[in-house]
Amino acid sequence: MLVLTRKAGESIVIGNEVVITVLEVRGGQIRIGVDAPRDLAVHRAEVYQQVMAENQAAVVSAEKRSEVVRATSKLRLQAPGVSPAEPSDR
Amino acid sequence: MTASPNYAAAPLMPDDTSPLRFDDGIPGFPDARSFLLVELVEDGVFQMLQNVENGDLALVVAVPWLFFPDYAPELSDVDQDGLGIERQEDAIVFCPVTIDADADRMHMNLMGPFVVNARTRVGRQIVLADQDFPLRAEIPRSVA
Repeated sequence: MLVLTRKAGESIVIGNEVVITVLEVRGGQIRIGVDAPRDLAVHRAEVYQQVMAENQAAVVSAEKRSEVVRATSKLRLQAPGVSPAEPSDR
Repeated sequence: MTASPNYAAAPLMPDDTSPLRFDDGIPGFPDARSFLLVELVEDGVFQMLQNVENGDLALVVAVPWLFFPDYAPELSDVDQDGLGIERQEDAIVFCPVTIDADADRMHMNLMGPFVVNARTRVGRQIVLADQDFPLRAEIPRSVA
Protein backbone atom coordinates (compact mmCIF):
# COMPACT_ATOMS: atom_id res chain seq x y z
CA MET A 1 0.00 0.00 0.00
CA LEU A 2 1.24 3.44 -0.88
CA VAL A 3 1.33 5.60 2.25
CA LEU A 4 1.26 9.39 1.98
CA THR A 5 1.08 12.02 4.69
CA ARG A 6 -1.37 14.84 4.05
CA LYS A 7 -2.66 17.84 5.99
CA ALA A 8 -6.10 19.40 5.89
CA GLY A 9 -6.56 21.11 2.56
CA GLU A 10 -4.09 18.87 0.75
CA SER A 11 -5.04 16.37 -1.91
CA ILE A 12 -4.07 13.17 -3.66
CA VAL A 13 -4.64 12.65 -7.37
CA ILE A 14 -5.40 9.14 -8.61
CA GLY A 15 -5.14 8.63 -12.35
CA ASN A 16 -6.29 11.58 -14.38
CA GLU A 17 -9.74 12.04 -12.95
CA VAL A 18 -9.88 11.24 -9.25
CA VAL A 19 -8.89 13.79 -6.59
CA ILE A 20 -9.15 13.00 -2.90
CA THR A 21 -8.89 15.96 -0.54
CA VAL A 22 -8.49 15.95 3.22
CA LEU A 23 -11.02 18.57 4.28
CA GLU A 24 -10.80 18.50 8.03
CA VAL A 25 -9.03 16.60 10.77
CA ARG A 26 -10.69 16.75 14.14
CA GLY A 27 -10.40 14.34 17.03
CA GLY A 28 -10.41 10.82 15.68
CA GLN A 29 -12.21 11.75 12.48
CA ILE A 30 -11.11 12.92 9.08
CA ARG A 31 -13.46 14.45 6.53
CA ILE A 32 -12.55 13.53 3.00
CA GLY A 33 -13.77 14.99 -0.27
CA VAL A 34 -13.76 12.84 -3.38
CA ASP A 35 -13.87 14.33 -6.86
CA ALA A 36 -14.44 11.55 -9.35
CA PRO A 37 -16.25 11.05 -12.65
CA ARG A 38 -19.99 10.73 -12.15
CA ASP A 39 -20.09 7.16 -13.34
CA LEU A 40 -17.45 6.02 -10.86
CA ALA A 41 -19.14 4.63 -7.76
CA VAL A 42 -17.69 5.78 -4.44
CA HIS A 43 -18.68 3.89 -1.30
CA ARG A 44 -17.75 3.68 2.33
CA ALA A 45 -15.73 0.48 2.43
CA GLU A 46 -17.70 -1.20 5.20
CA VAL A 47 -20.99 -0.70 3.37
CA TYR A 48 -19.57 -1.97 0.11
CA GLN A 49 -18.09 -4.99 1.88
CA GLN A 50 -21.45 -5.82 3.43
CA VAL A 51 -23.17 -5.78 0.04
CA MET A 52 -20.32 -7.85 -1.36
CA ALA A 53 -20.69 -10.43 1.42
CA GLU A 54 -24.45 -10.66 0.83
CA ASN A 55 -23.85 -11.24 -2.88
CA GLN A 56 -21.44 -14.03 -2.06
CA ALA A 57 -23.97 -15.51 0.36
CA ALA A 58 -26.66 -15.41 -2.34
CA VAL A 59 -24.59 -17.54 -4.72
CA VAL A 60 -25.85 -21.04 -5.36
CA SER A 61 -23.74 -23.36 -7.48
CA ALA A 62 -25.35 -25.41 -10.22
CA GLU A 63 -25.38 -28.65 -8.23
CA LYS A 64 -26.95 -26.96 -5.19
CA ARG A 65 -29.82 -25.47 -7.13
CA SER A 66 -32.26 -28.31 -6.47
CA GLU A 67 -31.65 -27.80 -2.74
CA VAL A 68 -32.67 -24.17 -3.09
CA VAL A 69 -35.83 -25.17 -4.93
CA ARG A 70 -36.68 -27.53 -2.08
CA ALA A 71 -35.89 -24.88 0.54
CA THR A 72 -38.10 -22.24 -1.07
CA SER A 73 -40.95 -24.72 -1.44
CA LYS A 74 -40.58 -25.85 2.14
CA LEU A 75 -40.88 -22.30 3.35
CA ARG A 76 -44.29 -22.05 1.69
CA LEU A 77 -43.76 -18.43 1.00
CA GLN A 78 -46.78 -16.27 0.99
CA ALA A 79 -46.02 -12.91 -0.51
CA PRO A 80 -48.75 -10.27 -0.53
CA GLY A 81 -48.48 -9.94 -4.30
CA VAL A 82 -48.30 -13.58 -5.28
CA SER A 83 -50.08 -16.84 -4.69
CA PRO A 84 -47.96 -19.18 -2.64
CA ALA A 85 -46.31 -21.91 -4.62
CA GLU A 86 -47.46 -25.39 -3.79
CA PRO A 87 -44.49 -27.48 -2.82
CA SER A 88 -44.07 -30.03 -5.54
CA ASP A 89 -42.58 -32.72 -3.33
CA ARG A 90 -45.41 -33.10 -0.84
CA MET B 1 -36.57 9.50 -8.53
CA THR B 2 -38.52 7.40 -6.13
CA ALA B 3 -39.18 3.87 -7.19
CA SER B 4 -42.78 3.12 -6.52
CA PRO B 5 -44.31 -0.32 -6.24
CA ASN B 6 -45.30 0.18 -9.88
CA TYR B 7 -41.88 -1.16 -10.66
CA ALA B 8 -43.11 -4.57 -9.66
CA ALA B 9 -45.34 -4.44 -12.71
CA ALA B 10 -42.30 -4.29 -14.97
CA PRO B 11 -41.90 -7.75 -16.38
CA LEU B 12 -38.82 -9.69 -15.55
CA MET B 13 -37.07 -11.33 -18.40
CA PRO B 14 -36.95 -14.92 -17.30
CA ASP B 15 -35.37 -17.52 -19.50
CA ASP B 16 -34.59 -14.88 -22.04
CA THR B 17 -31.56 -15.67 -24.14
CA SER B 18 -30.33 -12.09 -24.41
CA PRO B 19 -28.01 -11.40 -21.45
CA LEU B 20 -28.15 -8.49 -19.05
CA ARG B 21 -24.98 -6.41 -19.09
CA PHE B 22 -23.33 -5.34 -15.86
CA ASP B 23 -20.37 -3.49 -17.33
CA ASP B 24 -18.67 -2.87 -13.98
CA GLY B 25 -19.36 -6.32 -12.60
CA ILE B 26 -21.06 -6.51 -9.21
CA PRO B 27 -19.59 -6.17 -5.70
CA GLY B 28 -17.67 -9.34 -4.95
CA PHE B 29 -17.58 -10.35 -8.62
CA PRO B 30 -15.98 -7.49 -10.55
CA ASP B 31 -15.36 -9.65 -13.63
CA ALA B 32 -18.91 -10.96 -13.93
CA ARG B 33 -20.34 -8.79 -16.68
CA SER B 34 -23.03 -10.80 -18.39
CA PHE B 35 -26.02 -12.45 -16.74
CA LEU B 36 -29.21 -14.26 -17.60
CA LEU B 37 -32.28 -14.12 -15.40
CA VAL B 38 -33.62 -17.65 -15.05
CA GLU B 39 -36.74 -18.73 -13.18
CA LEU B 40 -35.94 -20.92 -10.19
CA VAL B 41 -39.33 -22.57 -10.33
CA GLU B 42 -42.29 -21.72 -12.52
CA ASP B 43 -44.15 -19.70 -9.88
CA GLY B 44 -42.20 -16.58 -10.81
CA VAL B 45 -41.21 -15.71 -7.24
CA PHE B 46 -37.48 -16.41 -7.26
CA GLN B 47 -35.03 -16.14 -10.09
CA MET B 48 -31.39 -17.01 -10.53
CA LEU B 49 -29.14 -14.24 -11.77
CA GLN B 50 -26.92 -16.58 -13.75
CA ASN B 51 -23.51 -15.45 -14.88
CA VAL B 52 -22.91 -16.37 -18.50
CA GLU B 53 -19.15 -16.84 -18.22
CA ASN B 54 -19.21 -19.00 -15.09
CA GLY B 55 -21.95 -21.60 -14.71
CA ASP B 56 -21.26 -21.89 -10.98
CA LEU B 57 -21.88 -18.20 -10.37
CA ALA B 58 -25.60 -17.66 -9.89
CA LEU B 59 -27.32 -15.56 -7.25
CA VAL B 60 -30.82 -16.11 -5.94
CA VAL B 61 -32.85 -12.95 -6.52
CA ALA B 62 -36.47 -11.80 -6.34
CA VAL B 63 -38.54 -8.71 -6.99
CA PRO B 64 -38.63 -6.89 -3.64
CA TRP B 65 -42.24 -5.72 -3.83
CA LEU B 66 -43.55 -9.25 -3.68
CA PHE B 67 -42.47 -9.28 -0.03
CA PHE B 68 -41.93 -5.63 0.87
CA PRO B 69 -44.70 -3.65 -0.84
CA ASP B 70 -43.63 -0.37 0.79
CA TYR B 71 -40.05 -0.58 -0.42
CA ALA B 72 -39.23 2.71 -2.16
CA PRO B 73 -35.56 3.00 -3.07
CA GLU B 74 -34.45 6.28 -4.54
CA LEU B 75 -32.29 6.09 -7.61
CA SER B 76 -29.70 8.85 -7.75
CA ASP B 77 -29.43 11.08 -10.80
CA VAL B 78 -26.05 9.53 -11.49
CA ASP B 79 -27.46 6.01 -11.57
CA GLN B 80 -30.54 7.13 -13.46
CA ASP B 81 -28.41 8.83 -16.11
CA GLY B 82 -25.83 6.07 -16.14
CA LEU B 83 -28.47 3.46 -16.80
CA GLY B 84 -30.43 5.68 -19.18
CA ILE B 85 -33.61 5.26 -17.18
CA GLU B 86 -36.07 7.96 -18.11
CA ARG B 87 -39.34 6.50 -16.91
CA GLN B 88 -40.25 4.17 -14.09
CA GLU B 89 -41.34 1.55 -16.60
CA ASP B 90 -37.77 1.40 -17.87
CA ALA B 91 -36.48 0.01 -14.60
CA ILE B 92 -36.50 -3.59 -13.54
CA VAL B 93 -35.53 -4.10 -9.93
CA PHE B 94 -34.60 -7.26 -8.09
CA CYS B 95 -32.65 -7.96 -4.91
CA PRO B 96 -30.26 -10.67 -3.72
CA VAL B 97 -31.78 -13.39 -1.55
CA THR B 98 -29.92 -15.55 0.94
CA ILE B 99 -31.14 -18.81 2.38
CA ASP B 100 -30.00 -19.73 5.87
CA ALA B 101 -28.04 -22.91 6.23
CA ASP B 102 -30.86 -24.62 8.09
CA ALA B 103 -33.15 -23.45 5.29
CA ASP B 104 -35.96 -22.20 7.46
CA ARG B 105 -35.36 -18.52 6.89
CA MET B 106 -34.61 -16.34 3.91
CA HIS B 107 -33.37 -12.78 3.77
CA MET B 108 -33.44 -10.13 1.11
CA ASN B 109 -30.82 -7.44 0.65
CA LEU B 110 -32.82 -4.23 0.31
CA MET B 111 -29.68 -2.10 0.60
CA GLY B 112 -28.21 -3.42 -2.64
CA PRO B 113 -30.87 -3.78 -5.34
CA PHE B 114 -30.04 -4.67 -8.91
CA VAL B 115 -31.51 -2.15 -11.34
CA VAL B 116 -31.71 -2.97 -15.04
CA ASN B 117 -32.86 -0.80 -17.91
CA ALA B 118 -35.52 -2.93 -19.58
CA ARG B 119 -34.85 -1.41 -23.01
CA THR B 120 -31.05 -1.53 -23.10
CA ARG B 121 -30.65 -4.53 -20.75
CA VAL B 122 -27.83 -2.67 -19.00
CA GLY B 123 -27.82 -2.93 -15.23
CA ARG B 124 -25.87 -2.27 -12.09
CA GLN B 125 -26.12 -3.04 -8.44
CA ILE B 126 -26.92 0.10 -6.50
CA VAL B 127 -25.55 0.52 -2.98
CA LEU B 128 -28.11 2.57 -1.07
CA ALA B 129 -25.84 3.53 1.81
CA ASP B 130 -27.84 6.51 3.05
CA GLN B 131 -31.42 5.36 2.63
CA ASP B 132 -31.68 3.19 5.70
CA PHE B 133 -32.73 -0.04 3.99
CA PRO B 134 -31.74 -3.27 5.71
CA LEU B 135 -28.98 -5.42 4.35
CA ARG B 136 -30.81 -8.50 5.57
CA ALA B 137 -34.56 -8.18 5.71
CA GLU B 138 -36.26 -11.41 6.70
CA ILE B 139 -38.64 -12.55 4.01
CA PRO B 140 -42.08 -12.99 5.55
CA ARG B 141 -43.75 -16.34 5.12
CA SER B 142 -46.83 -18.17 6.16
CA VAL B 143 -46.47 -20.78 8.86
CA ALA B 144 -47.15 -24.19 7.46
